[in-house]
Amino acid sequence: MVLRIARKELVEMMRDGRFRVLSAIVLAVSLVSLLAGWKHYTDLSRQHETAAASTREQWVNQPEKNPHSAAHYGVYAFKPKSQLAIVDTGIDPYMGVAVWLEAHRQNEFKYRPAQDRTAVQRFGEMTAGEVLQVLLPLFVVLMTFSAFSGEREQGTLRQLLSLGVRRRDLMMGKALGIAAALGLVLVPSVIMGVVAMALTLEGGLLAGDPMRAVLLVAVYAAYFAVMIALALGVSAWAASSRLALVILLSFWFTNSLIASRAVSDLASALHPTPSAIEFQQAMQADLDDRAPVQRRLDERRAALLREYNVDTIDALPIAFSGISLQEGEEYANLVFDRHYGRLFDLYDRQNRVHQLAGVVAPMLAVRSLSMGLAGTDFLQHRDFIRAAEDYRRDIQRILNGDIVRNQKPGQVYLAGRALWEEVPPFDYEAPATSWVLAAYTTSLLVLGLWMAAAVAWMLRAGATARVD
Amino acid sequence: MLEATNLTKHYNGVTALDSLTLTVEPGEVFCLLGANGAGKTTTINLFLNFIAPTSGTAAINGIDVVQQPLETKKYVAYIPETVMLYRNLTGLENLEYFAALAGRPDYTRDQLLGFFQEVGLAGDAADRRVGTYSKGMRQKVGIAIAIAKGARSLLLDEPTSGLDPKASNEFSDLLKRMSDSGVAVLMATHDLFRAKESGTRVGIMKHGTLVAVHGTDEFGHADLERLYLQYMHD
Repeated sequence: MVLRIARKELVEMMRDGRFRVLSAIVLAVSLVSLLAGWKHYTDLSRQHETAAASTREQWVNQPEKNPHSAAHYGVYAFKPKSQLAIVDTGIDPYMGVAVWLEAHRQNEFKYRPAQDRTAVQRFGEMTAGEVLQVLLPLFVVLMTFSAFSGEREQGTLRQLLSLGVRRRDLMMGKALGIAAALGLVLVPSVIMGVVAMALTLEGGLLAGDPMRAVLLVAVYAAYFAVMIALALGVSAWAASSRLALVILLSFWFTNSLIASRAVSDLASALHPTPSAIEFQQAMQADLDDRAPVQRRLDERRAALLREYNVDTIDALPIAFSGISLQEGEEYANLVFDRHYGRLFDLYDRQNRVHQLAGVVAPMLAVRSLSMGLAGTDFLQHRDFIRAAEDYRRDIQRILNGDIVRNQKPGQVYLAGRALWEEVPPFDYEAPATSWVLAAYTTSLLVLGLWMAAAVAWMLRAGATARVD
Repeated sequence: MLEATNLTKHYNGVTALDSLTLTVEPGEVFCLLGANGAGKTTTINLFLNFIAPTSGTAAINGIDVVQQPLETKKYVAYIPETVMLYRNLTGLENLEYFAALAGRPDYTRDQLLGFFQEVGLAGDAADRRVGTYSKGMRQKVGIAIAIAKGARSLLLDEPTSGLDPKASNEFSDLLKRMSDSGVAVLMATHDLFRAKESGTRVGIMKHGTLVAVHGTDEFGHADLERLYLQYMHD
């Protein structure tokens, strides 16, 4: 029965000119957004590949020089992009995707495409993720608002119910029919998305993370199910189609346009972050305070002189200048950890506010999950920052250790390729899918809750709806 | 068989139907006459369980419609003033859909076309979208749905109002055929002529009360009109 109703809904919609025009628009916009995402992704990943290769090349081919000069020469680290970033670019355009790793400093990220948009990107200002999160719910609203109320207004509802149709079956059938119509509209985009991913992956589609892609599809499917159930419930509950449309458009507007702004404001009001200048000034003040480093160096000097039973550091068998450099690094690292740690904790807390706010607007839960699965969220950005910073510290430790062992007093010490190669290439593995899911449990729960509530509401509205 | 026993409906203190007791036997065509607001549509809505009775019972095939709403609907078909169809579907697709939802998803195309012929709809209309259907054609589709459903009782709410005389006559013929096959028919109507022609009994309703019941063979058409106006007078 449910399937029979669903089939009729689908047939009716496909013969409806309005549906065809709407679908064509949705289809065109989603294909364009995917194309833009794909172009952006391939451009960026090609740049990254060559840049990552050349930064390593340049590093190992440095001429002989003092290891500390090499530390200042530095290397670039590039955040790898998941193919799913084609769908959801997340915060990458704002946070940047590359960082310069050098002595003494934990640098800010560079290459923020948001600052430097190309024509193609301007054209595809709406990412595929935004199409899915904002445009498609509107499409669902326009397709569904009169699905029940229209039958009541036309009088077919009386006839259907006089046949002995279960209201539950009617609601489920209609929901399924609309879902099928939506699926049909999305099929070309999904196929294109899969092809785009396959083309960008060297080892074929399975070389990526199919689990993430499957989950991403599931998340959006759940989101559309929520929207369809809500819209159908409102269509049954409201006194007229017109009222249903007004209610649903208000919900759509709040959910997809107002909520994210409001929650951003709320999150920064609850957990305010310092401005970039304030942050830099506070950190610089701590870095400039050399007293702790001096104290620590005095202690180490005294301990070494005692240990080797000598009077001056020049008489030590190791180079104290290397120890001094490393101590400077260690102290700066403490300062970085403290300041960045505090800042990132604030971002984390803001992130939690966003996830919880999904209770009010399901789009927020979906957005969090979408970015998370695409690997373009803040949590995974933070994980990459940590890995890059660890790598930077490893480089400094290796180079300073070499100075400690090899620099002789009064001599100019030059190291060569052997040392440069001792520094391993930067190898970063993005967090596993399970890690992402654990980080977004709140959003998953919220989405599940919406789904259960929306279906319950739909069935209840159908069961109690007036016949005419 | 349709049975109402002391069936009563109040809307916010206004009595729409007052203690209606009525039995429509198989093969009978009972016509409910009366002004607008006399309680005819309320009676039909109560039989369909679209509204809940304040007191009393309505039963189809001896089964209470409130207690077993889905079960009782298996035996009844409802035809409104204008049968509404899905305009993006063809006539046959509409019939197939309504029949399937009535629990008969198993009809072949030929069987469905047979129902179309049975109610006098031309073959080329079957595969046309119903947007172009006249009211007469729609009412015939309504009968076709009732036949396809195999309903033993028929509830009609002013099914011939606005039909031209020829279409109205054809509709009455179909109704006659159904009642001859043992269907119990309850029809609300304003059309005294139709009631006299195709009804076996007429009931006159006024302010929610069934004030008179007569067999249509008791008097001629002019007598019925006089009787009706007499009741409506005060």
